[in-house]
Amino acid sequence: MENTDIIVGIASYNNAKTIGHVVKAVGAGLAKYFPDKRALIVNSDGGSKDGTPDIVRSATLDHAAIFLSHPVYPIHRISMPYIGIPGKGSAFRALFRQAVDLNAEACCVVDADLRSITPEWIELLLSPVIKNGFDFVAPFYSRHKFDGTITNSIVYPLTRTLYGRRVRQPIGGEFGYSGKMAEFYLSQDVWESHVARFGIDIWMTTEAIANDFKVCQTFLGAKIHDPKDPGSDLSDMLLQVVSTLFNLTERHYDKWKDERGSSDVPTFGFRYHVGLESVKVNAEKMLGIFRAGLKDLRHIWLDIMGPGDLGEIERIGRLSNGEFRFPAGLWVNVVYDFVVAYHRKVMSPEHLIRSLVPLYLGKTASFVIEAENMEQEGAEAEIERLCLEFENKKDYLVTNWK
Amino acid sequence: MENFMDLLLQPLRDFGLTIFEFIPNLLAMLIIFIAGFFLSRLIKMFFLRVFRVINFDSWCDKAGLTAIIRKGDVWSRPSDVSGGIIYWFLIIMFLMIGLNALQLETIDNLTAQFFLYIPRAFSALVILIAGYILAGFISRAVLITAVNSGYHYAKILAEAVRLLLIVLILAMALEQLQIAPGIVIAAFSIVFGGIILALAIAFGIGGIDAAKGIIKGSEPEHKDEKKNEKEREAEYL
Repeated sequence: MENTDIIVGIASYNNAKTIGHVVKAVGAGLAKYFPDKRALIVNSDGGSKDGTPDIVRSATLDHAAIFLSHPVYPIHRISMPYIGIPGKGSAFRALFRQAVDLNAEACCVVDADLRSITPEWIELLLSPVIKNGFDFVAPFYSRHKFDGTITNSIVYPLTRTLYGRRVRQPIGGEFGYSGKMAEFYLSQDVWESHVARFGIDIWMTTEAIANDFKVCQTFLGAKIHDPKDPGSDLSDMLLQVVSTLFNLTERHYDKWKDERGSSDVPTFGFRYHVGLESVKVNAEKMLGIFRAGLKDLRHIWLDIMGPGDLGEIERIGRLSNGEFRFPAGLWVNVVYDFVVAYHRKVMSPEHLIRSLVPLYLGKTASFVIEAENMEQEGAEAEIERLCLEFENKKDYLVTNWK
Repeated sequence: MENFMDLLLQPLRDFGLTIFEFIPNLLAMLIIFIAGFFLSRLIKMFFLRVFRVINFDSWCDKAGLTAIIRKGDVWSRPSDVSGGIIYWFLIIMFLMIGLNALQLETIDNLTAQFFLYIPRAFSALVILIAGYILAGFISRAVLITAVNSGYHYAKILAEAVRLLLIVLILAMALEQLQIAPGIVIAAFSIVFGGIILALAIAFGIGGIDAAKGIIKGSEPEHKDEKKNEKEREAEYL
């Protein structure tokens, strides 16, 4: 196969309802913004049973209707099954392989279940690589204040604190990257770990930052997509993401131990306010699981956190639902205690991270109660305060690590 | 008369001869005992030093073995416990070897049986230790999963799983030791079956409302209700 300038990857599994729209948007974006580049759309499919690959192959776009008068260049597309552990990470690995084999200059990946993707997303994800020489482009969305709770309470604050770069959506799902970056990813031996599943996003972002690649973010507007597969529940998602995050913390100790404070990364795209769908959150149910954890997982938490932080957790556990607050400083201690316990191998990594779920739900419930009447900006300011707390207490992590 | 005296003295002579022949065996046994005692102490000290060099205690802490022996109400350091096991194993072995030196048919048989039994005892010990660790691991996994799923009786469920596994492991170990295997299997079947039946009844009674909820939830009008909800669930990632 001859060389290709741009590869757009779409990882899919049973996305027949939405993938046609995604392919058309990608095709339109490539035709409109990169008409002089040789481009290829690659669908990496996990064995869909609903004809997803057929839809990829047959999706057509009436360019004349969209661009009025615009030269039409054929954009090739292929749909291929990937091998390895079923999951998004394995699908991405096949895409990295394609990028290396075809000597691609720039690539991007988009989810197959997107409903809000427009041709501009392709420009926003690829241009920083092609025109500005960046190696990694993270997405930046407008999200409802109660969305992305793992990102807001653990992944963003911890990544920012450890590596000193403010990438707001480290596990956003859509990314742009250079051919050089794809080659780096492909050469890493991580494909039997949680990176092969939901861990791929945090792994890509962290490796790009920690290995001093040129990193930026790009504003894409709102992200609306199909509801997540009910089979992929919170506990599994948290395990895959946090386990990868903690593993990387272990691996890049020398890079983060002396880093203090944080700085912005270049941000592309026009920031605008987006009307967001309202979101349903059951804080009472979350608090129920938090209190059940307090009752039944006490001996496990004691091994991880010690009596001091556990005592504080027990104190807030006695508060009524209305008064319930999980102080930011305490949450930072809890996360750092878990990072250290993971490092010291206090128990099996799976048990350790799954036992974090009730605490995470307690923290999320507290945020929901606090931010209930806040505007989007107010909620964002709360997250910023949490991040600063993480940064201010970094010495606690460094001291306890040894 | 002379014959009569012979009849009287011959057993005494024979007894004396037997004692005379037995004394070297007895001495050999005592020497083996004493040498074995000192050798066992030496070997124990050697192992204790090796354990210290390889940081065995800290390794046991990390692997959760210290916590396991603490649960058994043993508060010595894991290296001391292991040293003690090695020491007493050697003492028993030297004792059996020493007794073997007596060359008495009954003791020879006993010693032979003891050495034949060692592999069985060893595999039973391995089953017990591995089983105990596995039961703890699975029970903890059940506990965490049940808590995260919002079950009210997570601890009881986890303890029930641990109990079932321990019963199973004990039965396997006793079967390995061939201690009344028929009785062990029968007792195991009764206890295991009883526990399963008790759990089934407990869950059956406790789960009536949950089952009702599941059946209600799958009815068409409830599905429609869910479809009509305009708000969406928050996303975690």
